[in-house]
Amino acid sequence: MNWKTVLRLIGVDVKSGRLVRGRKVRRFRERRFFQYLLYGGACALGIAVGLLAGTFYDRIPDLETKIILYDGAISLFLSLPTLVLIYSLVFTLMSQIQRAGVKSSIQPPYWMPITWEEHTLASTLANLLGFSLASIISIGSAIAVASVFLKIVPLAIFVIPSLLASAFLASTTTEISRILQVRLVGAVYKSSGKAAVWVRFIGSLIFFVAFYIVWFAFTSGASVAVIGTVVGAQNAVWFVPYVWLGMALAAFTEGLLAHTVIFSLASLLFILILFSLAVGLNSRFGLYEPPAITVSRGAYVPKTGFLGKLGFSSLEAAVIKKDFKAFTRRRELMYIFIMPIVFILMPLMQYFGAIGRSPLTEASPFLFAWILLMPGALMAVMLGNMIVGQEGGSVWYLYSSPITANGLVKCKYTFIIIFSCIVTIVCSIVGILVAHPSLNFAVASFGESLLLIFALGAVSLGAGIRGADFVEVPRPKMIRPLTVLVNMIVCFVLALVILAPLIPYAVTTISILGIPLPLPTVDLYVALPISVIIAIIITYIFYKKAIKDAREFLAKAEV
Amino acid sequence: MASLSESAVKLKGVAKRYSDIVAVDYIDLDVKRGEIFGLLGPNGSGKSTTLKIILGLVKPDSGSVNVLGINVEEDPVAVKRQVGYVPESPRLYEFLTGIEYLDFVGDVYGMNAAEKKERINEYLEALELEGREGDMISGYSQGMKQKTILISGFIHKPKLLLLDEPLSSLDPRSARIIKDLLHELASQGVTTIMSTHVLEIAQAMCNRIAIMYEGRLLALGNMEELRQKARLPGSDLEDIFLKLTGTEDVKDVVEALLK
Repeated sequence: MNWKTVLRLIGVDVKSGRLVRGRKVRRFRERRFFQYLLYGGACALGIAVGLLAGTFYDRIPDLETKIILYDGAISLFLSLPTLVLIYSLVFTLMSQIQRAGVKSSIQPPYWMPITWEEHTLASTLANLLGFSLASIISIGSAIAVASVFLKIVPLAIFVIPSLLASAFLASTTTEISRILQVRLVGAVYKSSGKAAVWVRFIGSLIFFVAFYIVWFAFTSGASVAVIGTVVGAQNAVWFVPYVWLGMALAAFTEGLLAHTVIFSLASLLFILILFSLAVGLNSRFGLYEPPAITVSRGAYVPKTGFLGKLGFSSLEAAVIKKDFKAFTRRRELMYIFIMPIVFILMPLMQYFGAIGRSPLTEASPFLFAWILLMPGALMAVMLGNMIVGQEGGSVWYLYSSPITANGLVKCKYTFIIIFSCIVTIVCSIVGILVAHPSLNFAVASFGESLLLIFALGAVSLGAGIRGADFVEVPRPKMIRPLTVLVNMIVCFVLALVILAPLIPYAVTTISILGIPLPLPTVDLYVALPISVIIAIIITYIFYKKAIKDAREFLAKAEV
Repeated sequence: MASLSESAVKLKGVAKRYSDIVAVDYIDLDVKRGEIFGLLGPNGSGKSTTLKIILGLVKPDSGSVNVLGINVEEDPVAVKRQVGYVPESPRLYEFLTGIEYLDFVGDVYGMNAAEKKERINEYLEALELEGREGDMISGYSQGMKQKTILISGFIHKPKLLLLDEPLSSLDPRSARIIKDLLHELASQGVTTIMSTHVLEIAQAMCNRIAIMYEGRLLALGNMEELRQKARLPGSDLEDIFLKLTGTEDVKDVVEALLK
């Protein structure tokens, strides 16, 4: 193993962060300060949290409370490797999914003298960079500092490398799943023929729904309960190698030296076996190209468009149809459809799972409002943000085609509205079935959801045009992070402005918060038109602004 | 207005800089209708930028661009409607199939269904893409992608073709078809401006050739005029090109590399 090669390969992945639209890349000089700022910040945050927790613990006069907190801290320390494993698995899997296409992890130039061991190690470590590593640094520094106050420094010394090992374990697992998935998906495409596109789309959705059900089942409820669950679960499933690091820690705290050594060595062996498996799979399928997907066979028959009958020009209709295909065929875009599912699942699982209520016995206005307002509005915001940036390197075609700024905004906005409205309709059906709202409340929520979609869709589309980022390697960026942040804040404020007239109605009439507040009673049929007027004004202003942005965008083609 | 003008493309004092790099250095160009016009030059000499300026993709810092009687800055959309553009190594919508992509292009240029079907099928057959048109473009070879992009440049019957390295990655048969097609289109009044590094192609195909170097227009004319300019009577385009661009010292370079 040539460690220098591994470091160089990781460097390639790190440097891909340079590719952000608008940045001058000529004579690029690395500013190491910014490169390590995330990790430095995470470390500082961890130390601050550790100091705060330690000082708080130190100043507690009551011995009994101290013992409870001490036991809690031990439980937390023991559960950390497993928790870090789960979180790292989620982050690394998500990061892999968002990467473009098959050649997703750092692709070694296969004609160069790089071994599969070096490639696999670099890919595994590079996967951890960013938020995963920052979290581990933050947690590690917090427990290191807190352990001094709690006088459990030896345990902390054992926990910190365990966290790193857990993260590596998770990333290696992701690497294995990536290779297997590419090979498996290739085989499925080959056998499913024309249906391959839909098999991929539905398969991806099912995978994510299952993933989130497991995730929420595990994390719903209070964090203390989660920690308790992890510690208990570790003991119950001691035969699963993934929890051996936690088992080693548990044995260490109980003073069982032999068990500590056995579980630690077994964990190390397991990591080595997994890594060897990843290397083996990479050498077998690393250069595997999935077969071409044949979508249609037979004679070509142009279809007369439905969109044309709705007043769209052939160009606008073509762009809408093309975008529909992009969102249902590009794996890295499919996650947009998972978002509404998550927003339905999350409250439902917490509401019915953790609280233990029966789904069909009582009305829950808050739950209904959440399910109806959030997914549609968020869909509009997310689609608006990414609908132009998702063009990626193919954006040259938009630039060179005879599309006007008006046409571009019209077709992109229509796409956002169509998809977000479909989501709202589906969500309202789910909401009515599970939350039994009154007719007035259902109509008001549905109406408000549509208003949010129209207004926030226009706001986000403008941002999406202005902040579009067409860089696709290693993952499609689609929009600059700062633009997303600013747009989120603007959308949040504007959503509150649109909903404001209905807040007194929701609080007083429906008592959505469950607390009586001294607010004037407002009739729904007065509040709703006011809200409509506000939404129309916002939509109009931002739609016009989006056209202005599009005009600038098309005039300054970056090809 | 357009029919009165002899020129298909007229560039006057066009310049473009990217910070301290001069991409195009005050060039004047007049390409006639029905002409096949070649743009030659070493890498980074400004050929692709010139093509993008003509299409309105890149706004020049100074100068005026007139295409088919239309000022590009004033009405870029009207210009784009009449142009078929083939960029160098373009990214296609890889999630579409070949036929879906061409159908999309047909719609973008407002072709009717019957015309679209007829022309797409003709081109698919001619360039031997039949049988693979239903596959996603992501599964295409480089040559198949190039054929697809060429078809997309031709199907809407543009009056001006802007082709950046059009024959790269093509098999000999397809390259020949494209060459013959360009000649036939030229006789029908379609203007072609193409950039290429393959000097034999430029020599064989182009009525006139412009040699660019560091954004400047070093020479412009037919083969005979270029020979006179380079003072190399009877020589081929490669010698002329190397002499005019001052890069004829290849022998010394090779010797240095072999040391």
